[in-house]
Amino acid sequence: MRRLSLTAASILQAIVDGGVYGFDIIDRTGLPSGTVYPALSRLERDGYVKSTWEDEDDARAEGRPARRNYQLTAPGVRALAETTRHYRALLPALGRMPARGRA
Amino acid sequence: MPRLDLAIVRLAAPVVPDDIRRDWKREWEAELAFDHGRGRGGTARAARAVGAVVHACWLRWDRWRWDVIWNDLKYAARSLRKHPGFTVVAVLSLAVGIGANAAIFGAVRAVLLRPLPFSSPEELVAVSTTTMERPDAAGGASSPPDFTDWRRDLRGFVEMAAVIAGASALTGDGPAEQVPSASVTGGFFGVLGVPALYGRALEPADDPVGAPDVAVLGHALWQRRYGGRRDIVGSTITLDSRPFQVVGVMPAGFAYPLGADLWIPQRFSDEELRTQRGAQYLDVIARLAPGVTLLQARDEMRAFARRLAEVHPRTNNDRTIALHPMREALVGDVRAAMFLMLGAVGLVLLIVCVNVANLVLTRAVGRRREWAVRTALGAGRARLVRGLLAESGLLAVVGGLAGLVVAMWVTRLIAALEGSVAIPLLDQTRVDGTVALFTLAVSGLAAAAFGTLPAWQASKGLDVAVGIREEGGGTTGAGSRQRLRGALIVVEAALAVVLLVGAGLLMRSFLGLVAVDLGFSRERVQTFNLSLPELTYPTPPARAAVVDTLLSRVRAHPEVEAAAAIFGLPLTNFGYVISMSTLDERTLDDKESMERSLQVRVVTPDYFRAMGIPIRRGRAFGDADRLGAPPAVLVNETAAARLWPGQDPLGHSFAMGTRLGHRETRAGGTVVGVVGDVRDFGPARAVRPTVYLAHAQRPVDFVTIVVKARSDPGPLVPTLNGIVATLDPNLPLYRVRTMDQLARDAVAQPRLFLMLLAVFAIAAVLLAAVGIYGVMAHAVSQRTREIGLRIALGAERGTVLRMVVGQAMTMAVGGLAMGMAGAMATGRLMRGLLFGVEPFDPVTFLAAGAGFAGVALVASALPARRAARVDPVEALRES
Repeated sequence: MRRLSLTAASILQAIVDGGVYGFDIIDRTGLPSGTVYPALSRLERDGYVKSTWEDEDDARAEGRPARRNYQLTAPGVRALAETTRHYRALLPALGRMPARGRA
Repeated sequence: MPRLDLAIVRLAAPVVPDDIRRDWKREWEAELAFDHGRGRGGTARAARAVGAVVHACWLRWDRWRWDVIWNDLKYAARSLRKHPGFTVVAVLSLAVGIGANAAIFGAVRAVLLRPLPFSSPEELVAVSTTTMERPDAAGGASSPPDFTDWRRDLRGFVEMAAVIAGASALTGDGPAEQVPSASVTGGFFGVLGVPALYGRALEPADDPVGAPDVAVLGHALWQRRYGGRRDIVGSTITLDSRPFQVVGVMPAGFAYPLGADLWIPQRFSDEELRTQRGAQYLDVIARLAPGVTLLQARDEMRAFARRLAEVHPRTNNDRTIALHPMREALVGDVRAAMFLMLGAVGLVLLIVCVNVANLVLTRAVGRRREWAVRTALGAGRARLVRGLLAESGLLAVVGGLAGLVVAMWVTRLIAALEGSVAIPLLDQTRVDGTVALFTLAVSGLAAAAFGTLPAWQASKGLDVAVGIREEGGGTTGAGSRQRLRGALIVVEAALAVVLLVGAGLLMRSFLGLVAVDLGFSRERVQTFNLSLPELTYPTPPARAAVVDTLLSRVRAHPEVEAAAAIFGLPLTNFGYVISMSTLDERTLDDKESMERSLQVRVVTPDYFRAMGIPIRRGRAFGDADRLGAPPAVLVNETAAARLWPGQDPLGHSFAMGTRLGHRETRAGGTVVGVVGDVRDFGPARAVRPTVYLAHAQRPVDFVTIVVKARSDPGPLVPTLNGIVATLDPNLPLYRVRTMDQLARDAVAQPRLFLMLLAVFAIAAVLLAAVGIYGVMAHAVSQRTREIGLRIALGAERGTVLRMVVGQAMTMAVGGLAMGMAGAMATGRLMRGLLFGVEPFDPVTFLAAGAGFAGVALVASALPARRAARVDPVEALRES
């Protein structure tokens, strides 16, 4: 299984946490739109997420056009888990490092 | 109010691949609408919408991705390999065009663009004393009292320093050698802002007379003579027979004045500062105070110069100050010329691009069937255009790489040709990262220039049926392509003519320069410099004696025809002007005194014979003109005409404003002869009124020995070295060169520019000729059937010949006319480079026009002959 970049992982995590629309993912991750969207397109191309369109009627009820929402696919869930495990394993090592580089 | 965010999305939309564009737009608009709905500000939304541009580009890129582009490149490479003739011609001409551009850019960068190796070099200025008549002239030296006053009183500068470039005899710790050196005041290293590598640089504390004698070594001298030993700092070396303590070593690459490798303190005694306001021999440099502009500093200096003129009217009356950026002072006024060369070489590349575009177009005709088949098999038009662009890109990259090799080669060639003789810093030209980047950019531009047109041509009118049917070699359909190629040839011819006219003008100008009579004979004259250390030769008689002895020993050599010494050799840019104090016993007022300033030269009797300078009236100096005898002077024709117009100058007398050579009497005397004018400052500069003093009567401590040999003077040099070493082993001879060399160096810069432009012009004309040949040959081969038919129907072969040549000449003459117009438009830019020739010189225009027409005629004659020889039976059977 391929490990994901931190950017990709944090986007997947944002989706898992409930940010299913593009701009919500931007708000949750704090990443710029020019980073999030290409990354989303790439994740979709590689099969980690899939997108569907929001129900037209629901949107119209709120007086706005329908939005595109993203969900993790099974490979996406596995990739996120694997990536999270990997970064978590790094954490103790990070904790042992001095706060600043060598003076 | 229009929504900026939506505008950005709409603008980026076309970039998105067709099939996903609708969804992409819908999503972005929905998200922005949502943001709008929850009250996010317009600016923030616009910032977010910028992400849509990135997203669109990413999607497009993702669609293309490497495999597709890689495929295109692979296909392009295979196609280029299959046509080696085309590929080699295209790559070679691109390599020449791109390489020449890279080399000239490298030179421009070295001379004009690369920051000087000083701290904040843009704050550095050169200060020149000049006259009201030429208030912006650069290079004028200044007097010690003026300099000291400026440094003390002016506020526009952080620091100011005086420099005298010279040479010092380094002896004692190895063979005697003359090291290019500079005497500098204590602020020098502070002005340039370069600290010492080891030890310390000179400081204002080194300025007072009587302070310890100290020296700072240049990196090259330190490495060469002292093997890079750090303990040299603190030790003592002998310069001009005096001990100096080495206090520091400068880092590598520090050389100001250019070539200097040793720095010692320049000091002014109180007496000098009181009396020497008329002696202008200091080069002054300064660093502008923070926030002060060159113009502000200049205005402050000019106001101060006016105050000095009021206080010291006798010396400073007509004086003012010019400030120039340091680089200009260093390399002179070559900016316009160098950018002109860059423009010229750019034209050459443009011609190369036109030629390659033509080649690609020619090939395109042969490939119509291939494309038609590929289209029929389902290749999109975009795919074909992309393929063509990939070929162009590949050609440009390979051409660019080969161009880098050409650039290195050309750079070395330029350095070998003229080095730093023609233009200071030119020998610093390197093909480095910046030049490589420039080459890359130029290659990209070239690819765009020669690749787009054919691709565009190919993309339109791609008709499958016609393409496949045309295989038989029909004559229709290719009309517009043929017209386009004709137009390209016209443009190419025009560019070549512009270059040809430019080269012609420089050629005429250069011929004019070398035809100028310098006033002396440059054949078989060897020269070298000697400077006599004050400690060994303290008195005028001692100086006169050593020069006399040396000359008589040199003269004794059978190969020597004449030997003499001069203070102020021609063509060495040796300015030494002194005002006159009395003329025919009458004391001159300040104005008259200034107007009658004379250039001063000091010579031994044989000088005029050794140099072949004619004596026009009276006599040369003789042995009777020695110390104690009545002082005699010679003047040149210009001085005679200016001082005593319409009179016989012999017997008149004058005295100069200084006591040159020895302290008792003012320089001057009675005119005993008039000698021919000499172009002391090169063929392009006017002769100055000059007085010659007798060395025996005014023995100076710096002379150039001039030896006229009976044959080639080169083999004499070791002998001369030996004679000097026997006389005084601590007396090195330096600047060993022949007058012929000096005369050649005097025109090195115009010669370099001429050679460059001539090479560009020849390349341009050849390329244009190849272009004409290619287009005509192709046209003839396409029309073989038609021509065969004409001949079969009774057309004379001569008519066919004339028809083809006529077509070629129509293009050539069209280009010629455009080129002439272009040359007139650009001629103005060349004015500064020309000597004795107008930018619109009719002779040059006519010659260039005739020359180009001749080349075009030859280039079209070959295909025309082939056309005339078409065998009608063969031609008609083939179809």
